[in-house]
Amino acid sequence: MMLKLGVFELTDCGGCALNILFLYERLFDLLEFYEIKEFHMASSFREHDTLDVAIVTGSVSTQRDLNLLHYARNHSNYLIALGTCATHGDVQASVEGKIREKLERVYGTRANPMKALDSTPIVQHVAVDYALPGCPYDKDELYQVLMNLAKGVEPPTKDYPVCVECKLNEYECVLVKREIPCLGPITLGGCNAACIKSHLGCIGCRGPLPKEANPASEFEILKELGYDEEYIRRKFKTFARGELRW
Amino acid sequence: MVSIEIEAFTRVEGNGGAEIIIENGEVKDVRVKIFEGPRFFELLTLGRHYWDVPDLEARICAICYLSHSVASVLGIERALGVEVPEEIMLLRELGLLGELIESHALHLYLLVAPDLFGYADAIRMASRHGEVVKEGLTIKAFGNYIREVIGGREIHGINVKPGGFGRYPTIEELERMERQSEALLKLARRAVGIFADQEYLGAKAEHYVAVNGYLYGDKLIADDEGGFDYFEHIEEKTLPYSFAKQSRYKGEVFMVGALPRVMLKHEALTPMAKHLYEEYKEKLSQGYASLNNLAQAIELVYALERTKEIAQNLLDRGIKGENVPVEPREGEGIGYVEAPRGVLVHHYRIDEKGNIAYSNIITPTAFNHAMMELSLYEEAKKRYGSSDEVTFLQKLEETVRAFDPCISCSVHVVRL
Repeated sequence: MMLKLGVFELTDCGGCALNILFLYERLFDLLEFYEIKEFHMASSFREHDTLDVAIVTGSVSTQRDLNLLHYARNHSNYLIALGTCATHGDVQASVEGKIREKLERVYGTRANPMKALDSTPIVQHVAVDYALPGCPYDKDELYQVLMNLAKGVEPPTKDYPVCVECKLNEYECVLVKREIPCLGPITLGGCNAACIKSHLGCIGCRGPLPKEANPASEFEILKELGYDEEYIRRKFKTFARGELRW
Repeated sequence: MVSIEIEAFTRVEGNGGAEIIIENGEVKDVRVKIFEGPRFFELLTLGRHYWDVPDLEARICAICYLSHSVASVLGIERALGVEVPEEIMLLRELGLLGELIESHALHLYLLVAPDLFGYADAIRMASRHGEVVKEGLTIKAFGNYIREVIGGREIHGINVKPGGFGRYPTIEELERMERQSEALLKLARRAVGIFADQEYLGAKAEHYVAVNGYLYGDKLIADDEGGFDYFEHIEEKTLPYSFAKQSRYKGEVFMVGALPRVMLKHEALTPMAKHLYEEYKEKLSQGYASLNNLAQAIELVYALERTKEIAQNLLDRGIKGENVPVEPREGEGIGYVEAPRGVLVHHYRIDEKGNIAYSNIITPTAFNHAMMELSLYEEAKKRYGSSDEVTFLQKLEETVRAFDPCISCSVHVVRL
């Protein structure tokens, strides 16, 4: 039996849907098990009945997004929140202020005919069965998750910081050796330390490490290195507003 | 009055649709609606340190993240009075070429080709035309390889920085680019023939606008104007039915993208691409929006030839890998880049501490918004009453697709 798969895109940069296409030949391997019923970036084909797996990317930023999210939840058995917009809200959720204030500052009017909402992650609105963060997420990880589901196995989740991947790759610690602000110690790993490979600091795009993150200590370290508090605060909040307490 | 809805465009990036308004049995008006939510990037970067800004701006769009990073870096460097050596500019150009290759291959082979072969998507098309889909994926993967090396990751890498790069490419990486660009040229050349056969769709633009260099520059040019800044001749207005704004050039509808680039800058094309331009010159100068697909196919050839040139050049002279020091100061600067789908503007004012005091970003799909509406209007008018409904809607979607719209980008057309 083929599993029915739907990909739903709320407000985002398109990267999480695009990254599925970047699986190339392995996408065709997945199609041995899955039948795509909805994926508007890639296909004009749509068939709306119940889905075995729904992938939802993006944040809830309009009433339409919210309706689409409820549709996906109500029509699927297993829902994956894919990417940091869906799991933590990403950059758009870090913009402070109420929606009408923001509309006024940017569009010059408080009118809201298109029903924009303050951006929030989808996990705030519906129960999700699996959350895979990353801006973007690692496509190999998504492949594994979908393969596991096809075999009826509950996919495992990662629970270690970016630092672990840095060590495995034997990259020099940019925080200690070069005093570059790096959020690796408090950020969930799974990106293979892409930013440190570029000799730059982790910007925290996979969101905070669940449970064990120690943002207070990271905050003190950066302060001692001479970064001002406002700078650190905004850096911490960029991808997961309100989740880090220190 | 009745209206026909295109509820959601498919095989385009982001969420948008259209409404065709019919009155007295005639097409009266067409509205392109963008319902992708606003993400307020200008507020997001306000007060942020310039160093972190290109990484944030990249998140506007995944398909053209490097164009955003490079435009952001160029705007910031101009504001801070930083000049970088040729090596760094060549590497940035290489990144933009990789992005153009990735994006054009995605658009042509996976999004447009199914229309030409009569399928709902490339996956279904692969059952009969597997070789075309496979060639497209191979070219696309090569573009992504360049994005990974130069940009730091296939999507949203942070390697492009004010003053240079986090990491410079190795000899082996440049050799691979040189080798593969040569090997893929044959495939790209063949694609030109496929897209040259597409029927004419949409309107003819009253004006073409592009950046003064082929992929980046410091001014805009138009069919009737040499170097100017965007605010001199382009005006924006907000719409009640869309999160995107509309622009006019000297009060008229204009187009940005591959077709305007090839028409305005064919002198700068590489040998094989120039030859193809000459071959299809007459056709391209018909000016219909759908010819943007043919122009993209010619640019795919250009990008592969140019990638080879740059890789060779850098291998001959060797990579120094030295960044230019950047010091914060008060200033204002604009970065102009040709994203795969057209002109992209990043405009910043920076305060004495190096924090962003003002920013304005205008994306290609925002520039093209009015031209997309005009094209849909003309195509709908021509077909209403003579085509059956399925064909009618199919052709309207094909018309929109020719612009290769990136809707995530288009909602960031805002000025503070």
